[in-house]
Amino acid sequence: MKLQILLLAVVTMTTAASAIDDLRSADHDYESPKPGTYSLPVLRPASDGRLLDTSGNPVRLADLTSGRITVMSFIYTRCTAVRACPMATGVLSQLHRESADDPALSKSLRLVSLSFDPEQDSPARMAEYSALFSRRMNAAPWHFMTTRSPEDLRPILSAYDQAVDRKQNPLDRTGPLHHTVRVLLIDRSGNIRNIYGSSTLDPRLVLADVRTLMMETASLAQQH
Amino acid sequence: MKSWIAHPRFLSTLLSGVVLSATSAAALADETCSSPYLARIEGQEEFLYVWTLGVEGMGDGSDKLVTVDVNPGSPTFGTVIAQHSVGGRHEAHHGGFTDDRRQLWLAGLGSSTIFIYDVASDPARPRLMKTIGDFEKATGGAAGPHGAYALPGRVLIPCLSNGTDHTGRTALVEYGNDGGYITTHWMPTREAAGLPGAEFADGYGYDARVLPRKNVMLTSSFSGRNNYLRPLGEVVKDPEAMKQFGGTMVLWDFHTRKPRKVFQVPGAPLEIRWAWGATHPYAFTATALTSKLWLCFEDAHGEWQAEEVATLGGPGGVLPVDMSLSADDSTLFVDGFGDGVCRVFDVSDPHRPRQIHEKKIGRQLNMVSQSWDGKRLYFSSSLLANWDKSGADNEQFVRAYGWDGRELTPRFDLDFAALKLGRPHHMLFGSTKVGR
Repeated sequence: MKLQILLLAVVTMTTAASAIDDLRSADHDYESPKPGTYSLPVLRPASDGRLLDTSGNPVRLADLTSGRITVMSFIYTRCTAVRACPMATGVLSQLHRESADDPALSKSLRLVSLSFDPEQDSPARMAEYSALFSRRMNAAPWHFMTTRSPEDLRPILSAYDQAVDRKQNPLDRTGPLHHTVRVLLIDRSGNIRNIYGSSTLDPRLVLADVRTLMMETASLAQQH
Repeated sequence: MKSWIAHPRFLSTLLSGVVLSATSAAALADETCSSPYLARIEGQEEFLYVWTLGVEGMGDGSDKLVTVDVNPGSPTFGTVIAQHSVGGRHEAHHGGFTDDRRQLWLAGLGSSTIFIYDVASDPARPRLMKTIGDFEKATGGAAGPHGAYALPGRVLIPCLSNGTDHTGRTALVEYGNDGGYITTHWMPTREAAGLPGAEFADGYGYDARVLPRKNVMLTSSFSGRNNYLRPLGEVVKDPEAMKQFGGTMVLWDFHTRKPRKVFQVPGAPLEIRWAWGATHPYAFTATALTSKLWLCFEDAHGEWQAEEVATLGGPGGVLPVDMSLSADDSTLFVDGFGDGVCRVFDVSDPHRPRQIHEKKIGRQLNMVSQSWDGKRLYFSSSLLANWDKSGADNEQFVRAYGWDGRELTPRFDLDFAALKLGRPHHMLFGSTKVGR
């Protein structure tokens, strides 16, 4: 029963939460910028890598970082640090929910949650994790990915500057891995345009950035 | 078998992450004035990284990164355990870590060179892994990189000058953690249409620091290469040179990197120290030429203001340089280069600082770094190669002190001249225990 109540709470919070624009809080105590009033410089090209989807099928990371505007989060499912993976997944869930009500956003956006713990986060485990979040009609696609091995993962972590270390205490209550929080914004051409950490992971900022890239795309289309 | 995902802790924590306001990782320690985006060390700092100016005829004469053991339990406590020369003199000044704390970026004001050290593989022995030598060209003319400030996945480098006229007209520059150039933001000038306070804007820069929960960044202003590479005695006697000092601070929308307001803060405002408290929307700075303490704050109407809140020392001033705010926002340590005194203020009421202690640290004094628990402070002596004092007053040291809430007491003293190391400047904490 407890499980069902908690699951219900999760579903409730991730499907009926406030609109992103209403999420001003003590930690994010400012007006969100107006999309299109600022620019997002290219940081560097998003790198490729070998992934597995939730069915265990091989996928190229490059196929998930072009064609749409991508918000990609590095996570591991055993993480229970409040300001780390749960928060990152929560922000992606907010974007997912927003896209369900916005056809233009849904058509432009892709979400990716990529595990950096392949030894524990098997495709089956990622499938179970994804079931909590990704069942929304008309929403943007949300891909939950892992890798076959640490060897496949290592070059991806290096290319995306994702620090992951084992904690001295593997029984640490927030999970066994130290890691920086990395959520990346990648444009349709596969260029990284922003990187968010725990202090800047405000869903309003991420959405404003996504919409800025959408407007950039529309502007380029008009020019051509 | 019960599903792992059904574990109550997972679900409740996930809910917290989705719904609740996040709280900072307060259990971790570090230096109090470091970037809020930086992965923090856990507990007692173990190493002090000292970016040191080379002196001709002293040792190898080169700028170097000096590592001091500051772990009280170590048999080499209070001694230099590693040094690495970068080759040549670049006017070593400030530095900073990347947000994951794997790299230490050190800037040379003179040559506009950035030296990037790996401090993760062996924190006791940093290893030079990359040098950025085309800074001026890559950035479109920004010069005099002042330091490096960790942002998520990148570093922000506030500059002091430019490669064209070498005045204080300058920019903020961003590089990725991979060492790749990203973008340049030139400081606003009087031509910035519609910017409140644009009539004061001088385009100068010095420090840049962010208050993430308010999405604001503050910058301060100093002077260009024409002045900071010239002997101080000549500068102060040259009326035209004395006109070329900054007198502004700029409040920016951090996310968009757009200036929001320019404050008139005469006399070269230098280091910026944001308060950490969740209900403390303010920052301190000190003006080098006018010896004043200023407060930038958000008022009750949500407007940002700047006001002078204290005078440092007596007539003639003390040339305030670095300062350090305690992690609980109650105590501010301000170094005077002129008299070598550290003044300690109770800033519980930030609008009315009250001096509670002062200590002569040396004949000249510049930087101060404070531990998160407020119990340990480290001081260094050098300001700029051509601005340091001469003769017997030209002491070059790193000195560690303890603070018990009432007075500063010596812990150890390293004579960088006797050790033939050079002029010690910026000091940063290192550790083998880094959280993320």
